[in-house]
Amino acid sequence: MFEVLEPVKAGIDFENTLTPTDDFNIIDYLYFYNGGGVAVGDINGDGLPDLFFSGNQVKNKLYLNKGNLEFEDITDKAGVAGNSSWNTGSIMGDVNGDGLLDIYVCAVVGLKNLQGHNELYINNGDNTFTERSVEFGLDFDTYSSSAAFLDYDLDGDLDIYLLNHAVHTPESFGHARLRNVRSYESGDRLLRNDGEKFVDVSEEAGIYGGITGYGLGIAISDFNLDGYPDIYVGNDFHEDDYFYLNNGDGTFKEISKYVFSHTSKFSMGCDVSDINHDGYPDLITLDMLAEDEVVQKRSEGDESINTLRMRTGGYGYNYQFPRNMLHINRGNNQFMETALLSGVAATDWSWSALFSDFDQDGNQDLFISNGIPKRPNDLDYIKFVSSEQIVSKMEATKLVDQKALALMPSGYAQNYVFKGSGGLKFENMSARWLPQEKTCSTATAFADLDNDGDLDIIVNNVDGKPGIYINQTNTSANYLKVKLKYNQSNPFAFGSRVYSYNNGIMQVKEMYTARGFQSSSEPVVHFGVDNVTVIDSVIVMWPNGDRQKLTAINSNQTLTISYNAQPSSIVVQNKEEPGRIFEQVDLNNIGITYEHKEDNYTDFDRLKLLPYQQSDRGPATAIGDINNDGLTDIHFGGSKHMPGQFFIQTESGFLKTSIINILKDSIKEDNQSIMADFTMDGKADLYIGTGGADFYNRSAPLLDSYYKSSESGFILTEIEGYFENVSCLQPFDFDGDGDLDLFVGAQSVSNDFGATPKSYLLVNNNGQLAPHQAEFFENLGMVTDAVWDDYNGDGQVDLIVVGEWMSPVFLKNNRGKFERDKVFLEGLHGLWQAIAPLDVDSDGDTDYVLGNWGLNSRFKATNGHPMRMYYGDFDDNGKSETIVAIARDGKYYPLDGLDMLASQLPVLRKKFTSYESFAGKTIDQIFTKDQLNKATVYEVHELASGFLRNNNGVFDFVQFVDNLQVAPILSLMRYDFDLDGREEILVGGNYFGVQPFHGRFGSFGGAIIKSESDIRLSQSIGVNFFNQSVRHFNIVSFKNEKFLIVTINNGKCQVYKILGKK
Amino acid sequence: MKRFIVFISILGIVFSCGKKEEVAFDPGDVDPGHLHHTMKKITDIIVHDIFSPPVASRIYAYSSIAAYEAAVPGNPNFVSLAGQLHGLEELPKPDSAKQYCFELASVHALAVVGKALIFSEAEMQAFHDQTLAAFKNSGMPKAMYENSIAYGSEVAKHILEWSGKDNYKQTRTFEKYTVPLHDPGKWKPTPPAYMEGIEPSWNKIRTFVIDSASQFVPKPPTPFSSDVKSQFYKEALEVYEAVKSTNSEYEEIANFWDCNPFKMNVRGHVMFATKKISPGGHWINITNLSCKLANHDFFETAEAYALVSVALADGFIVCWDEKYRSKLVRPETFINQFIDEDWLPLLQTPPFPEHTSGHSVISTAAADVLTTLFGDNFHFVDSTELEFGLPARTFSSFKQASDEAAISRLYGGIHYRPAIDEGVKQGHQVGDWVLRHVRTRKEHLAWKE
Repeated sequence: MFEVLEPVKAGIDFENTLTPTDDFNIIDYLYFYNGGGVAVGDINGDGLPDLFFSGNQVKNKLYLNKGNLEFEDITDKAGVAGNSSWNTGSIMGDVNGDGLLDIYVCAVVGLKNLQGHNELYINNGDNTFTERSVEFGLDFDTYSSSAAFLDYDLDGDLDIYLLNHAVHTPESFGHARLRNVRSYESGDRLLRNDGEKFVDVSEEAGIYGGITGYGLGIAISDFNLDGYPDIYVGNDFHEDDYFYLNNGDGTFKEISKYVFSHTSKFSMGCDVSDINHDGYPDLITLDMLAEDEVVQKRSEGDESINTLRMRTGGYGYNYQFPRNMLHINRGNNQFMETALLSGVAATDWSWSALFSDFDQDGNQDLFISNGIPKRPNDLDYIKFVSSEQIVSKMEATKLVDQKALALMPSGYAQNYVFKGSGGLKFENMSARWLPQEKTCSTATAFADLDNDGDLDIIVNNVDGKPGIYINQTNTSANYLKVKLKYNQSNPFAFGSRVYSYNNGIMQVKEMYTARGFQSSSEPVVHFGVDNVTVIDSVIVMWPNGDRQKLTAINSNQTLTISYNAQPSSIVVQNKEEPGRIFEQVDLNNIGITYEHKEDNYTDFDRLKLLPYQQSDRGPATAIGDINNDGLTDIHFGGSKHMPGQFFIQTESGFLKTSIINILKDSIKEDNQSIMADFTMDGKADLYIGTGGADFYNRSAPLLDSYYKSSESGFILTEIEGYFENVSCLQPFDFDGDGDLDLFVGAQSVSNDFGATPKSYLLVNNNGQLAPHQAEFFENLGMVTDAVWDDYNGDGQVDLIVVGEWMSPVFLKNNRGKFERDKVFLEGLHGLWQAIAPLDVDSDGDTDYVLGNWGLNSRFKATNGHPMRMYYGDFDDNGKSETIVAIARDGKYYPLDGLDMLASQLPVLRKKFTSYESFAGKTIDQIFTKDQLNKATVYEVHELASGFLRNNNGVFDFVQFVDNLQVAPILSLMRYDFDLDGREEILVGGNYFGVQPFHGRFGSFGGAIIKSESDIRLSQSIGVNFFNQSVRHFNIVSFKNEKFLIVTINNGKCQVYKILGKK
Repeated sequence: MKRFIVFISILGIVFSCGKKEEVAFDPGDVDPGHLHHTMKKITDIIVHDIFSPPVASRIYAYSSIAAYEAAVPGNPNFVSLAGQLHGLEELPKPDSAKQYCFELASVHALAVVGKALIFSEAEMQAFHDQTLAAFKNSGMPKAMYENSIAYGSEVAKHILEWSGKDNYKQTRTFEKYTVPLHDPGKWKPTPPAYMEGIEPSWNKIRTFVIDSASQFVPKPPTPFSSDVKSQFYKEALEVYEAVKSTNSEYEEIANFWDCNPFKMNVRGHVMFATKKISPGGHWINITNLSCKLANHDFFETAEAYALVSVALADGFIVCWDEKYRSKLVRPETFINQFIDEDWLPLLQTPPFPEHTSGHSVISTAAADVLTTLFGDNFHFVDSTELEFGLPARTFSSFKQASDEAAISRLYGGIHYRPAIDEGVKQGHQVGDWVLRHVRTRKEHLAWKE
């Protein structure tokens, strides 16, 4: 779709050539390869966007667009070649309000012998410019990356956010509070336009400017649609990215920890656009994870979990992982991160991202530039090559010569382009849409260079001519280009928002030009409208909040809209929000002040190759009338060495209360509990299923506790012989003898993940619980949940069991004897976490909703190429380990890299003495046939959550929409929450017990499934489980109202009043 | 290739290989050079492959013992260590009807065991092939050559089977060190690489001579306190000041004994490791140069390597036992938290708890053994660090060297004083025990007891 315009033929001879020397190279300046800038805009008012390139060590160039894709170098005449020795980003904007685009060029100054200052070229209107940075107070001699125009105080003129970067080596993290101490060279600046001069208001506005600010990415957007522009700053290394919410009073609040579950670690460029048509701006941030299997395995990967914990828990930083992040705006100042699900997480050493509708189908596409001349994170270089080749010299002279640097592998790479879907998914079209060439592409901008309506891309390449990609969409799809004319001090209307409505589909774009990385794009709003010839309506929201509506707009034109305020009755329709069903309750008001604290145990410290933890499946929650006063009480199980807690209901609320002979049992970790009258004495008994994965072998604390009520209090007995980690308790009188029996599901065997844990069905004989069909139930697999339900309509209630690395199992109840039933085709092994019955497809029979791992993951599984887990004693030391492998192009590779695998299996170091020799090796090249044959192989075919659709007793699996795939779904509850007489399912999830390689699954806010086509997300129904790992839902009545209790692992519980609105 | 020198001299007969009356060929007194060079090759590969100090000491011990045991039948004055080292059973005996060159068997056993324990096997094999070619080309009869290789292989196999039962393999799957985030007195990973605590279960490795890993439990570290008046704070302040007010001599000493097998250098996105010989490797090298200086013959050389490496290995085990008992926080972490956020030690802090100082323990233990072997006032020039860009240092005794190695950790800013004092004590305890309990000669020479 994009054709290369030969720069030289077009009259463009700029080339950002870098000349590293012995005393100035990537070792001396860590951002040596970040490249120059590119700014695009019509500087002479002829309707054609002109090109400005800033060069690092070469002079800047300005090219006048002469039409027909011919350009004229007017640099010398214009006087914009620049005087700084190292230029970086450049942006265009009208600084002095004369209607002409000026150019602001950033520079790195003061490092080594770098001279100069940021330069402001004021447009004289005659193709000449005057450098007036001193006069405007913009002549910063700091370490600038780039800058962005915004009117943060809505006073009508353009202010500037100046993005600076630190250059010192982060020897140690230091505490996050370092960002509070301002640094002249590396601190960012917010610069208020006071007419003739810009004033540094960073401090009073609450903008950080510390020595840890490695600012490489900047995006301006009104993320919360309150009319005030907010700021996103992407910081490299361990410093958090900053999310500055504009308070509207000239100050900002940095709330990234609240806003994001996690962010990119080595953040580079970023961009903002509404990709899913809900009116809220979404955000992508770039990092450097390679897609290529070989590069990925050769490159330094994630930090260890212990380092991550130190950085977050000890030093106060947020969770960050080295890959691209796609943050989908949930409309409540919180973002759902979906890059893995969306397919845009790994684009190698990436610099700039641009959202635009390149193919004009109405959905935002995504262009990403990447590449670096030398890959400094190559593991062989770090560990082997470097030492032997450069270290002696380094130690002796403190210099590194070119020969040593040359030993790093090349990082030239193919740029990426993705086709958007309007939803969360993107499709990689790089091979079809882009020229096939490996470059080091950094700054990028979009513009319609040939004025044919579609957007072209301009790329500033390191050590090469610029890449100019001319879009050939042309007339195959329709567009609307909008140019805005606002007031005198902001003629290009920066900060405006333009909506287009067509066939009920909303598109929205904001007029901000600083996008991507070190660059600014043409100040134009562009909509692709597919085959639409007349667009229903276009609404402009001007920076001052005034609205202007135009209807029946012809497509395929460039529409200039001048400010002409209309009555504010114009309604901008965001997505419709149905009524809330829940209202959160202050825990203190109701007295349920429970907070679960996970113990310090880390499963990965013991089982280094575990795919995920087992120790964090608690806490248990049970409701019932423990004190026989007619009111429902709550039991929360404790974690290891922490006693459980009872909250007893009183007239005024719940009271935390001790029940002596139960609470003393504090060694065990309680995963599940249930209150029910097993002894048929009219009083509640308590059964606690234990686990915790720390105790192992036949440790007594692994035995379940069964507290029988008696006259003198509770009497403890334990269920002998079952030492597994319990995952679910499902009581039911399966033998119809009038008392409650109990299914106990087990998820894992401590310290031996991969072994089959024994589940058991306990039959009740006068209050004594004893295993039933023991051998049958002990071999079900890694069970996580179960439900008693008569799936076959034979009048007998059956048991359906789900679990990890297994298919859902339907156990037919044949008068108290259970047998496996085959109700669906093979190939449904999943990492199933929860099951609940509901007529999802509204056809009158019962379907089963299934919670799974989700698709926002580095796990990959299909029916044709299931994910595999090998369980065996690979190192012959008497202890088994697990190795997970996924398929790429039909071949299986271990998910973990050499360092991780060798931490458990050092013998691999003998087989692979370099990372190069390991990278790209398949599982059967890494291990011997014998090793693999001896191992048990588990499979997963399906990672998506969804439902088993009942087709007259035969089931097939239907995947839920992407919004339900962003995190593992762990909890389901069927109930008529909205009191419409029909039950629905409340869905909760999120999970954090994974290695940094996987990141953090915190993006799922919760949902209600009313039916297949009616799924309502958290904010619309009034719940918010964002960044909380949900374990249980329970409903209690209190003062004639119903309350939802949400049990959270390692956090405070949540309580919601059920409003019952439809 | 040119560096390679054939050490076998045809003249000079002290110990013959094989039975004299049946021999048509006598390789004569085999120069210990092959032993030294093979050992140095093992050291080079240990550095390249990045073995941590305790693991490196294990490689040295098993390979040195293999070299010694394969040589012993060639000299009636020496005795086998079988029965003296835990779990080492009687070694295969050479066939009295066959001719051997036990020096060749010894060098071969050294190389085979070394190769089995390091990672870069191809590198080791290529080197060893050259050594074997030199023996082959010395005119040695084919049968003698093959007998010797076969015997060396047998000994190597025996030693490797023995090494396989020392719990090393099992400890690979033992639990990692859990970082106690909120306990300021306990060890945490240190900048810049924040590597995880290495070998937290090294005390589960079978000891060589000492009874158990916990045989020589040192005095615990000074009770942790961040109170400026506390003894602990004062000890931290001493480290802080030592680095602040360092001079070129202290700096040279600290660097000379740095012996960090994996120093991570970070320059923005560029990272690279500087790798040096491990502390144990340093003392193996001192053994090497002392043997040469004292004109030790092949057997005495094999004996020296075996004894020193055993002392080193047991030294690391007792030290690591204490390290993960007290789990004491490193000066860098403490000082950055309580004294000076920007303070950096002179040396990069190694990735394991502080108490006791490993270098102090193993240097002292090795020095004790070497003093017994070579005498009290053995003057030597230690050029071990030349290849790592550091000038040689001259010592008038092994004790002087080991004392300097110990205190260098304070100069380097990576240990408090008690870890050094207690480490030296532990080192003496280990050295003394090894010397009392391991007998290499039929006749007691300058042996203790």
